[in-house]
Amino acid sequence: MTKLRISALGGAALAAVGLAAAPAAAEDYTVGMLLPYTGVYAALGEEIDQGFMLALELHGHEIPDHSVTVIREDDEVNPQVGLAKARKLVLEDEADVLVGIVSSAVLGAVRDFVHQSETPLIVANAGNDEATGERCSPFITRVSFSNSQVNRPMGQWMYDQGIRTVYTLAPDYAAGRQMMETFAAAFTAAGGTVIGQEYTPFQTTQDFGPYLTAAKAAAPDALYVFYAGGEAISFVKQYDSFGLKTEVPLYASGFLTSPLYVDAQGPAAEGVIGLLHYVPTIDTPENRAFVEAFRAANGRMPSEYAVQGYDAARMVIEAIKAGAADREELAEALRRVSFVGPRGPLEIDPATNNVVQNIYVFETVAGEEGLTQKILDVLEAERDPANGCELE
Amino acid sequence: MDAAFWIVQALNALQLSMLLFLLSVGLTIVFGLMHFINLAHGALYALGAFVAVSAAGFTGSTWAAFAAAPLAVATVGVLLYLLLIRRLRSAGPMNQVLVTFGLIFVFLDLFRMIWGDIALGLPEPEVLAGQTGLFGVVYPTYRLFIILLGLAVMAVLALVLARTPIGAMIRAGVDNDRMAACLGIDVDRLFFLVFCVGCALAGLAGAVAAPVLSVTTDMGTGILIPTLVVVVVGGLGSLKGAVAGSLLTGFVQTFGAVIAPQLAAIAIYAMLAAVLILRPAGLFPARA
Amino acid sequence: MFHQTPLKTLAMALLAAGGVACALTTGFYGRELITEIAILAMLAIALDLVAGYGGMVSLCHGALYGAGAYAFAAATVLAGWGGGAGILAAVLAGGIAAWAVGAVTARTQGIFFIMATLAFGQMGYVTVFDARALGANDGLPGVPRLDLSAIGLDLGDSRSFALFCIALAVAAYAFAAALLRSGFGRTLVGIRANAARMRALGLPVWRYKAAAFGLSGAIAGLAGALAAQHTSFVSPGLLHWTVSGELLILVILGGLGTLVGAVLGAAALVLLKHQVSGFTDHWHLVVGVVLIAAVLAGGRGLYGGIEHWWTRRRMPAAPAEGGGA
Repeated sequence: MTKLRISALGGAALAAVGLAAAPAAAEDYTVGMLLPYTGVYAALGEEIDQGFMLALELHGHEIPDHSVTVIREDDEVNPQVGLAKARKLVLEDEADVLVGIVSSAVLGAVRDFVHQSETPLIVANAGNDEATGERCSPFITRVSFSNSQVNRPMGQWMYDQGIRTVYTLAPDYAAGRQMMETFAAAFTAAGGTVIGQEYTPFQTTQDFGPYLTAAKAAAPDALYVFYAGGEAISFVKQYDSFGLKTEVPLYASGFLTSPLYVDAQGPAAEGVIGLLHYVPTIDTPENRAFVEAFRAANGRMPSEYAVQGYDAARMVIEAIKAGAADREELAEALRRVSFVGPRGPLEIDPATNNVVQNIYVFETVAGEEGLTQKILDVLEAERDPANGCELE
Repeated sequence: MDAAFWIVQALNALQLSMLLFLLSVGLTIVFGLMHFINLAHGALYALGAFVAVSAAGFTGSTWAAFAAAPLAVATVGVLLYLLLIRRLRSAGPMNQVLVTFGLIFVFLDLFRMIWGDIALGLPEPEVLAGQTGLFGVVYPTYRLFIILLGLAVMAVLALVLARTPIGAMIRAGVDNDRMAACLGIDVDRLFFLVFCVGCALAGLAGAVAAPVLSVTTDMGTGILIPTLVVVVVGGLGSLKGAVAGSLLTGFVQTFGAVIAPQLAAIAIYAMLAAVLILRPAGLFPARA
Repeated sequence: MFHQTPLKTLAMALLAAGGVACALTTGFYGRELITEIAILAMLAIALDLVAGYGGMVSLCHGALYGAGAYAFAAATVLAGWGGGAGILAAVLAGGIAAWAVGAVTARTQGIFFIMATLAFGQMGYVTVFDARALGANDGLPGVPRLDLSAIGLDLGDSRSFALFCIALAVAAYAFAAALLRSGFGRTLVGIRANAARMRALGLPVWRYKAAAFGLSGAIAGLAGALAAQHTSFVSPGLLHWTVSGELLILVILGGLGTLVGAVLGAAALVLLKHQVSGFTDHWHLVVGVVLIAAVLAGGRGLYGGIEHWWTRRRMPAAPAEGGGA
């Protein structure tokens, strides 16, 4: 091992955004961006990154005296790798704040390190309830969503639509189970019955035929599911091809028909009703401006992931505006941030550090430029219970 | 659970089996003929799906996509053969593993660069949309098409292998390649031919699977293991083995998911382990 | 046949010295990489022992590694045992699981052996992925490091831990080399060359194969215990077949059946991936091209290439030498 030039080993992709001509009191903040840039969630990592950079571009003028440097690391959707990269960003690159994390398993892995090293972390996707529940931390704020937030409200809502029996399907892993269990609890509490519940092998299921056939045989009033990525596309197409659409309506945690996938799903996605914290058709000036800017920069409609990245950068900027200079002050300031973003009013719940936000019930419908999202209902300022979190 | 339920599940299993058959038949004969391990076979399947998506976008016809995908993948197969695989013939199995694994990585990133990270879809041909009544059940027409396509390919291959001179040469080559070469059979040419047909079938499988599934950069890695399971369970080198392996794998996977969903992920591996412990060379090895 | 040639000793000494030098001089992330290489090298030695010398090309070493990691994590985090007992549990878990797999798959050969080991490895992966007691797919956090403060070592310090891992990797190499030079090792190589003849000689072939596989699994289990301590976290991904696949690739890249090659391959792949991913997300492409190029350039593996160059250079002067491993 004679060739090691370890000094060069720390080299990561650097993207410095010079936000001003650096006056004397200027501070440079380093953001460690921990996202999957390869592997099954690469598309999500890219969206979050694009949203983040867009916000720095559009809102950077709000902190004219300071600059923000972004150092990117790929967590490869692997908890071990994610933890190693988080350590690198904090200990070697001396990041002031970490942003990102798509997978809940990666979040679970880095949680203790972030908490013990007292580094502020803005979670820009991973939704496991524990991160803002029993394993919450004053240093971890979540700007994306919790699994409960994007499933629980659907229990009452579907019951109010006259649905009495439901069959659920989701991938067999922690997030899939958590989403279905939260929904089932709320639906049962409202007075409905879950007559069947099946979990499909995670990321290896390509043929949903056997499960769809069993679900159809159970003859429920509705199907409630969660799938994302390639599985979301396969599931919706196969649901349609088995003729379930005319017999059993499909409801879902809204990731199923995310703007990222509806083009690939095609007409099969029409009529699917989802629940999500953002859809690009929200009719507010903030969202119209955001959608326009994102489309101009990236040539496609933004998804919920892009908004999560965008709002994460807004949080960083707001915290800097509040005068936070070091990790401790940043963590403190991040917990007090509130602003109106593309998805409506946002604030961080001081009891859990999870975001409080509007949740949208939407139907995927045919529009002028292909499929689009029609908002059926807005559930305002959805807030999670403390779930065992004791921050104060 | 009535009879109709089990008939539909049997059709689901058959549909999966036929897809696996299209993928594994080329691989197993190449394997039997030359002991050549092509780990990039799954990547060629993914390539077929991607080419089909692009061809459908370009021509507006899914049928054109079904024609373009096998041709394009076979062309890539020819290039791979001429540039790489020909030189690997005598390099030993471990070097073949290294090169074809390297190809998996190369294809993975080429797919990302050309088609991006966002999953794609391909609509089914319009005549095959909807459902058809059959044996008293209603079943997706497109899935019936996959079953028929698989059976047709199976019949053609059986006929070619059993009744034509080239089929006889392939069988002789699989049985004993040195002896076949002594008898004046150009085993290299045969290998080239079988390799290209195998690539075309992988491309076809990718294209016809695309309307059912989603087209993602990792779909090739995902299908590699089930395909190898089929090849190994069936035994190397025989059509019969490929048929038996595909049916066994398709039915175990489907009925595993129906009967014991919590064990669905393990069923195929348990089946593989059981077969190999009882029959260390698979069910129908071409060579004694 | 295994020979501990002077070139091998020199190569191992240089690799170990390089590792130590890096651990002492580099920054935090450099030490992390060195630790990762040392652990991976250990696992690669375990695989090369059976694949390179026993002809048992395994695709379940990732699962054995994971079994060791989980055994250590379960023993320390869930059962509250000390680190020493945890390491013992990891070695036993890897060893016993491997012995059992080796015993039932002993009759299979070549691709059939590869696929049979894959089947068992994946069954292990799925079992752990679904095991709620082990944290299911979220894994187990908070794995402590071995407490060696009694002899004045603080393994919580990344430099000490890197050196500790290098020392254990060297020990694993020495153990594998000693094993291969013993009568047992010669029998193993004999079985690879001609199992039927060894069986005809009255040798219980399956017992040798299972024992070799078990010992290899024990080393893999130890590597797993180190990995669990390194990241202080275990997750089912450790057991996935792709870990075994990439491990096999790096052993072949380094030079199958050389032991030193396994170490070289581990170092080369980790550093290559790290360097390339520093400037592009498309590191798969570069690594893939390197693997293909390695075969086209001779297909001897890294260490095989070095050995070839060394013998050719020495040939004219000392024709009696060379022809070794």
